[in-house]
Amino acid sequence: MSDRTLVGDVPPHGEDEAFLGNDDALALVGGTDPTRGTRQPGSRSMSVAVKARRYLGFPAVLALVCVAVGTYVARADLDDVERRLLTFDRIIDATLVHLQLVGISTLAVIVLAVPLGILVTRPAATRLTPVVVALGNLGQTVPSLGVIVLFAILFAPGFKGAVFALVVYAFLPILRNTIVGLQQIDPFLIESARGMGMSNGTVLRSIELPLAVPVILAGVRTAAVINVGTATIGAFTNAGGLGGIIFGGIVQSRTPVIVVGSILTAVLALLLDHVLGVVEEVLRPRGL
Amino acid sequence: MTDMIALEQLTKNYPGQARPAVDKLDLTIPEGEIVILVGPSGCGKTTTLKMINRIIEPSSGIIRLQGEDVTRADPDELRRRIGYVIQQVGLFPHQTIGRNIAAVPRLLGWSRQRIADRLDELLHLVGMDPATYLGRYPKELSGGQRQRIGVARALAADPPVMLMDEPFGALDPISRERLQNEFLRLQGQIGKTIVFVTHDIDEAIKMGDRIAILREGSTVAQYDTPETVLAAPADDFVKEFIGSGASLKGLGLARVREVSLADWPTSQISAGREAARRALDSSDHGWVLLLDEQRRPVRWVEARALQGEGSLDRVGLEVRAIVEPTATLVGALESMLGSRVGVVVVVDGSGAFLGTIDMRVIMSAVEVMRAAAHKRVLDDRRRVRAGQEPPANAIAAQ
Ligand SMILES: Nc1ncnc2c1ncn2[C@@H]1O[C@H](COP(=O)(O)OP(=O)(O)OP(=O)(O)O)[C@@H](O)[C@H]1O
Ligand SMILES: [Mg+2]
Repeated sequence: MSDRTLVGDVPPHGEDEAFLGNDDALALVGGTDPTRGTRQPGSRSMSVAVKARRYLGFPAVLALVCVAVGTYVARADLDDVERRLLTFDRIIDATLVHLQLVGISTLAVIVLAVPLGILVTRPAATRLTPVVVALGNLGQTVPSLGVIVLFAILFAPGFKGAVFALVVYAFLPILRNTIVGLQQIDPFLIESARGMGMSNGTVLRSIELPLAVPVILAGVRTAAVINVGTATIGAFTNAGGLGGIIFGGIVQSRTPVIVVGSILTAVLALLLDHVLGVVEEVLRPRGL
Repeated sequence: MTDMIALEQLTKNYPGQARPAVDKLDLTIPEGEIVILVGPSGCGKTTTLKMINRIIEPSSGIIRLQGEDVTRADPDELRRRIGYVIQQVGLFPHQTIGRNIAAVPRLLGWSRQRIADRLDELLHLVGMDPATYLGRYPKELSGGQRQRIGVARALAADPPVMLMDEPFGALDPISRERLQNEFLRLQGQIGKTIVFVTHDIDEAIKMGDRIAILREGSTVAQYDTPETVLAAPADDFVKEFIGSGASLKGLGLARVREVSLADWPTSQISAGREAARRALDSSDHGWVLLLDEQRRPVRWVEARALQGEGSLDRVGLEVRAIVEPTATLVGALESMLGSRVGVVVVVDGSGAFLGTIDMRVIMSAVEVMRAAAHKRVLDDRRRVRAGQEPPANAIAAQ
């Protein structure tokens, strides 16, 4: 399962784009007009209308889904319990908490896993790589509910424990993609960089990291999307978020509540996937 | 003439390897010359080259650059004084051509203006238009253009020394030839000290002021000008190595009519067994070729089969390997390999016997072709160096 989510991700716009060595994304963004010689960096020849459709079309669809859900909640024949569980304030609050759970944990993983990935791919440390990947794997193979409950017991139940659990759970995709992203770089590029007198640090900064960025970002995207789903389980340890709404629905046996909570979670995951896909595209170095 | 680079007892032992890849190599590279390291695969050419800029650290020995011992100098500093071109070029795909070429000048802290001026100058030098190409990315160039940019990048900070590892090895023959010529002209202007690795003896003869022919362990078999190496190979290894280029290709082009055929004992079937025995006895071959009334080859016969009496129509082997003078030598060679006797019979248009081709005929044809090929490469090189071809810019950016 992890291989599919780590390396074979599908972008938000539906083109079948693998993120390694595929020119299509750039061709779409930068155009392939051979005459452009003096283009400014960052100027992309795609028209504003095309860009808007590409970047905003999918979110618009998701917005429609939200409006439909809102209309349903407002118009449908709900009982008192359902009305209480599905107030506007509760939904907004749960969504914000959910975003915080995902955002904080994903950022924390980036801060931890990317440097670790860099560290273990240095020539002096290559023997460490399998060990570290195995540890990362461990976090992912334990069932997510188990991780969350374990961390609720180890730390505090609630928000903090859930964040810790999500960090463990999202660690592997980002770590592994950082390692893969750095390892897939053509060794001749590094040799020629060293051969012209760049220090190891300069090679890392100006050659290796830029070339690994697309792969690392794909890992971030995978991790974040996984976390949106996993974070719902945080409700079991009282962490809040959209899981709280779903959990409430389960406890009170109110199917409409469960459905609304689930739809909103799915919308959030899809939106995040799309946004991070756009980020990936924008940050992908030109020329790749 | 002073030595730009001196290698003294330079040795590289790779861990886990029984024998050193480079074994106590002594070599001096004169200033302003192109020295070619050439030799069979695995003899240590690349290892030797990469020890000069210490991409590979020597196990022992000394490297001197302009007289200064740089064996333990700061490798990054050292490398900024040495241009480096590899077969894979290694242009950074995420940087524009301009940015790629500017890499070393930026490391050296040149001013923007100085870098911009230098970029223009370098692109002109390699025959490419700065306005068109500086803003492009490597993947938007052809293989030959990329290799030119690789050379420009190595020249960027005007290093006195350039190291080139099979720089034209990945190109098709036509582009390679063109880039070789361009590079020789360029060298006429810049006069760098260049160490150039190849395994192609023709390229070595063409590009080198001097050729170091290496055998296993990077041991120098001969170190001399191309003319001397060709005229007076130091030993059998060198002789064999300089003969290694392009023989099969030549055999595919040469025709049977262009070689002098070997003679062979023949006898007419109608002349009987006695005549055939006499023909065989008077030669040192083991087989006699029997011909019919029209002198067409019919059968191969050994002495054993000639004993006794009777007609010769059915003795020995049928003659199968027959070619006409218009056949190529490759064709003749193929027939020969399929023949029990190891000989091809050559016949004229009416099928009459002309002579035979055996291994010795092929080998002497190869010798002649080699000599001609080397002469051609030497002439070519002389012509290019004398500047008798159209200027680089005219044909460069295709
Ligand atoms: N990193 C390495 N570790 C161990 N052995 C090596 C290493 N690099 C090269 N060798 C060995 O050292 C010897 C010389 O290799 P080198 O690459 O210098 O040969 P070369 O002359 O450049 O050959 P080619 O024409 O095939 O490029 C070979 O036997 C090779 O197997
Ligand atoms: Mg080599």
